[in-house]
Amino acid sequence: MSSKINHHHQNDKTNGQIFPQPCPHLADFHARNGTKPFRAIQDCLHIKPPGGRAAIRRDSSEVPRCGVCGDSSCPRLYACMACAAVSCHVPPHSSHVAIHATKTSSACSHEIAVDVDRAELFCCACRDQVYDRDFDAAVVLAHTTSIIQSSKPENLRKRRRIDYRPWSPDLRERSLMVNNASPIDSMSSSNGDLPRGLRGLNNLGNTCFMNSVLQALFHTPPLRNYFLSDRHNRYYCQSKNGVRLCLACDLDTMFSAIFCGDRMPYSPAKFLYSWWRHASNLASYEQQDAHEFFISMLDGIHEKVEKDQHKPRSQGNGDCCIAHRVFSGILRSDVMCMACGFTSTTFDPCVDFSLDLEPNQGSSMKTSSTKSNHSCNCEADGMNSSQNCGISTLMGCLDRFTRPERLGSDQKFFCQQCQVRQESLKQMSIRKLPLVSCFHIKRFEHSSVRKMSRKVDRYLQFPLSLDMAPYLSSSILRSRFGNRFFPFDGDESNTLNEPSSEFELFAVVTHTGKLDAGHYVTYLRLSNKWYKCDDAWITEVNENTVRAAQGYMMFYVQKMLYYKASEKQGTS
Amino acid sequence: MSAKRSSINRPPTPDVDRDRENQEPTLQEIINIKMIESGEKERLKELLRERLIECGWRDEMKSLCRKKGRNNVTVDDLVHVITPKGRASVPDPVKAELLQRIRSFLASTAT
Repeated sequence: MSSKINHHHQNDKTNGQIFPQPCPHLADFHARNGTKPFRAIQDCLHIKPPGGRAAIRRDSSEVPRCGVCGDSSCPRLYACMACAAVSCHVPPHSSHVAIHATKTSSACSHEIAVDVDRAELFCCACRDQVYDRDFDAAVVLAHTTSIIQSSKPENLRKRRRIDYRPWSPDLRERSLMVNNASPIDSMSSSNGDLPRGLRGLNNLGNTCFMNSVLQALFHTPPLRNYFLSDRHNRYYCQSKNGVRLCLACDLDTMFSAIFCGDRMPYSPAKFLYSWWRHASNLASYEQQDAHEFFISMLDGIHEKVEKDQHKPRSQGNGDCCIAHRVFSGILRSDVMCMACGFTSTTFDPCVDFSLDLEPNQGSSMKTSSTKSNHSCNCEADGMNSSQNCGISTLMGCLDRFTRPERLGSDQKFFCQQCQVRQESLKQMSIRKLPLVSCFHIKRFEHSSVRKMSRKVDRYLQFPLSLDMAPYLSSSILRSRFGNRFFPFDGDESNTLNEPSSEFELFAVVTHTGKLDAGHYVTYLRLSNKWYKCDDAWITEVNENTVRAAQGYMMFYVQKMLYYKASEKQGTS
Repeated sequence: MSAKRSSINRPPTPDVDRDRENQEPTLQEIINIKMIESGEKERLKELLRERLIECGWRDEMKSLCRKKGRNNVTVDDLVHVITPKGRASVPDPVKAELLQRIRSFLASTAT
């Protein structure tokens, strides 16, 4: 009898998950007890705060014991679904629960039991864990009856889809194209093997913070495609009447300049001036923070576009402007009351992920002598992010980001169920992934308490391919509830529409030097080669150089969008 | 299903064949019961869970389980394989912390 411990990686693009066949005893139980035999167990379940683990409800002073031997200390005790008798299961010594199963008569089946501590089903005859959709539904219902379901963000309820219609030019359009366009130089030009769109940016006075981010944006596939396919035309843009500025138009100008084939370094002076006018508090020749510039720029694009086209404010659906279409995702925040387990959920849009570096290197997994078989092998095992040999990894940072965090006693949260402020547990997860994920590593610490700022130089290892599945709300919720098959959070309706969770790295912005006197450099990945963009100087570098660099902002694009864009030389 | 009650500590139907040994409960049993009754066992379990997740022990066990594959594996098989490795690989600081907590609990309930 096969069983699954944690069905996880099956990419069920079709509705719901893969279901194991019930064992004959479970099927028999169903046959005897109607269509929803487990629903009544909902009343017997107790959701334990703060983590939300389900267990069989009992008084705190009740000590569950095996009905046969009286043992209360064995790790697995099962309660029979038919008669509530508790028995222990201690293979290979004894299994009183298996003996109990033999009591099955034609009237009553004693073969199915439930783990009293974990609320998981067990078939005493097969001596193995079994799974049942109806049972899991009861568990989730027990969970959610105390949760006031916050309304789903508007944008996810209905998705307007536009039918795809192919287009081919008619004669007039064809002649327009031929007369007004010129073919792109073939790759055998004197420019050699350098891919299209590589062009240095002159430093206009401590503007490496801007140059580095711009280089990354020029090669952000959806953004690049948007501007190169003339979706924002600087000549026709409505917003630029007279003195009104439009950052998107300036960006359009730059895209044209960068991709035109000219290899001489370009000076983004006009854009700098426009950005200064938008973010006047940052307008100076002092060195700025690249991440701050990034956020400010996205905001600038959004603001100008929104005002003019009266699109709705961004709710993470990205319908408002190209900046949000590309970078905007939705974060889910759960705050769980530690006294009663009541959970409050909110959804917030975000344009990037700001991650803390772990405080101590390998503070927990010390290379202690007992772990002789755990060699300090830092090859990231895909999902296994905790091979913490003392090196911080991006996945480690994401783990910390989505870990339940105890809010301090000075941050007590008002619990609607208890009606008082209680200590709580907060957990973040990602409800909707953006097309492009920008990870910002918080390397600059400003302490207002100590009135000082410092830079954290610690090396961070980042992967070339990243699967964000474990950080999604569906995964986080799944691990909170335990081994269940019940679909969560409207999963079922959306699995067809959800893009994949696999991402590819395409740009890394690095910082070297001190807090106030440093330098930003961007590494770009084009056609699987790496190029270092250091202001006006662009050179091809080895992948290991990039891996060893101090990542400050890492840009990942959804794998689907990456492969198409980077296959051929001509299109990169 | 109508026989299901919310309390699971219902005394079992006396079984004529078996005779439960009427012994004094052992010290271990007494401690266990005291810990459950006061809720300390639950708290310790949560603490242990947190520590073992933090240090990557759980992920290590998960990957060991995955190595066994999915087919023709029962929970008992996995428990049998995992248990010795699991016990051996709990980091010392975690053990120390738990022991300390248990000690202070015992000290506080000493009668």
